[in-house]
Amino acid sequence: MQGSSRRTGTMTDVHRRFLQLLMTHGVLEEWEVKRLQKHCYKVHDCNAPVEKLEDFIHNINSVLESLYIEIKKGVTEDDGRPIYALVNLATTAISKMASDFAENELDLFRKALELIIDSETGFASSTNILNVVDQLKGKKMRKKEAEQVLQKFAQNKWLIEKEGEFTLHTRAILEMEQHIRETYPDAVKICNICHGLLIQGQSCETCGIRMHLPCVAKYFQSNSEPRCPNCNDYWPHEIPEVFDPEKERGAGLSKPSRKSLRPRQPL
Amino acid sequence: MPRGQKSKLRAREKRRQAREESWDPVDAQATVSEEEEESSFSPSPDVKDDLQSSPASGTPSSPQVLGEVHSTTASAEAVSSTRFTEDASDQLEETLNALHADDIAEYWHRGPLDEKVVMLVHYLLYKYQRKEPITKVEMLRNVIQVYKRNFHEIFKRASEYLELVFGLDMKEMDPNRNTYVLINKLELSCDSQEHRGVPKTGVLMTILGVIFMKGNCATEEDVWKVLNMMGLHDGRNHFIFGDPKKLITEDLVKNDYLVYRQVPDSDPPRYEFLWGPRAYSETTKMKVLEFVAKANHTSPSAFPPYYEEALRDEKERAQAKSTARAQIAAMASARSKAMANSLSLPK
Repeated sequence: MQGSSRRTGTMTDVHRRFLQLLMTHGVLEEWEVKRLQKHCYKVHDCNAPVEKLEDFIHNINSVLESLYIEIKKGVTEDDGRPIYALVNLATTAISKMASDFAENELDLFRKALELIIDSETGFASSTNILNVVDQLKGKKMRKKEAEQVLQKFAQNKWLIEKEGEFTLHTRAILEMEQHIRETYPDAVKICNICHGLLIQGQSCETCGIRMHLPCVAKYFQSNSEPRCPNCNDYWPHEIPEVFDPEKERGAGLSKPSRKSLRPRQPL
Repeated sequence: MPRGQKSKLRAREKRRQAREESWDPVDAQATVSEEEEESSFSPSPDVKDDLQSSPASGTPSSPQVLGEVHSTTASAEAVSSTRFTEDASDQLEETLNALHADDIAEYWHRGPLDEKVVMLVHYLLYKYQRKEPITKVEMLRNVIQVYKRNFHEIFKRASEYLELVFGLDMKEMDPNRNTYVLINKLELSCDSQEHRGVPKTGVLMTILGVIFMKGNCATEEDVWKVLNMMGLHDGRNHFIFGDPKKLITEDLVKNDYLVYRQVPDSDPPRYEFLWGPRAYSETTKMKVLEFVAKANHTSPSAFPPYYEEALRDEKERAQAKSTARAQIAAMASARSKAMANSLSLPK
């Protein structure tokens, strides 16, 4: 904006297309973002060298800053994959969703969110969520409808479903972390290592501190005797592996199956 | 905003509030001259009465800036203590109000007009993603509000921002009804294979809606009836879409979004529309129904027979997807078992 004294980057059609497509998708994994970036160069400026992703995004963010929008990088809670989402900073939570959902659907999401935050495992069962359907604001929703709406949330990457239970998608965490921390200050769980909002993770059975699975992986990497950073008691849970993008591509499978993780441990 | 900055801003806001209560003309002048540099607006008559008796009346901007403080401190408190009590349209307003006008003004050395431009950009992006056209009335009511007189400036700057940052062009869709639509400038300039879903103009979604609600097959007359309501007429070139007849009977057909065929045994020949294969793959009956419902300010379940059909369609799609996934998973696990065996890794 004219009044701003901040340095802003230059936007070309490459950046604009990237921004548009990221806006359409909402959230993408890092490898998808890299592919998207290459595609945008190919379409608009195939002779230019592809800028390093970090700088490319920083460039765009410096322009978006005055709009209170940001391309935020996060990490999935269950297996530590880096993801990117276009996030609205200045608005209250759920506003991003408001463009896709009706009032009663948004209220259903809020109820699910509260159940997830209050749960021990970070997961809320669909039964529990559906039981609050008659308390929703707006047009009356039947349970059958609500099931569809929950699926829609999963498809749109606001919730993740695992065996009939729901937790927050990383996208929702990125977008709403600030709001969640402000609205539910007593109920939220925080990771002892990165101090970020924690929905799924492991906890020390002695002193109760919690850590994200990828934070556990990094902290205890190649440590044969993992101990709690707070009370020094033996860390009783299985230590997951640090996410390695190279390993994943090499395996040739569509998605690495984290057989060693049991993300839904009671905290 | 990073947390640290936000609490800094809140502290500043409190100081400002305190300053307002113990009015000091010298202090106000300093703030005002700063603000005046950035904003170029004329005083609005809607300003609160209690501030008009302010001593620093030489600069027109001062009552307005403080007027903004007055209203936003209240809304700031309301926002932080509000949980989720409004309905969707109020929600949007709350969303827009949460842009803490005073925080922004203080932090970026901007005037209230700049904040309105930012709010309008957010609002326009919201409408763009919902694939809804934008009316001047909506913009005035939801965003511009007291700055009615500055509508053109705010609108112009927001449009420039959208063009510069997002590559979206603001076009007037219907000059008589002050309706606008955002067009993807980039799409027009090259052939895109990456864009997800149907074109965002809403014309196609409307036609798919008509076809669906006429039992998956609509006559050409049905379709034109609806297009006419949008300002598209056969034989009349439209500012954005050009020749509508060519658009619906050739372009969209060529791209496999629609099927256009003669009604069997019709003499004189009449024509009908059906969904094309690309429409089936890029959108769903449920999505189209949602589009139609939104345009009528209601929800899909207000159309029971179509809602049931859309639900059935969703179920079938989900089943097809899970069968496909199961097959892929089976193949993948077979492959990984074979790999493990061949490498003799311990399990």
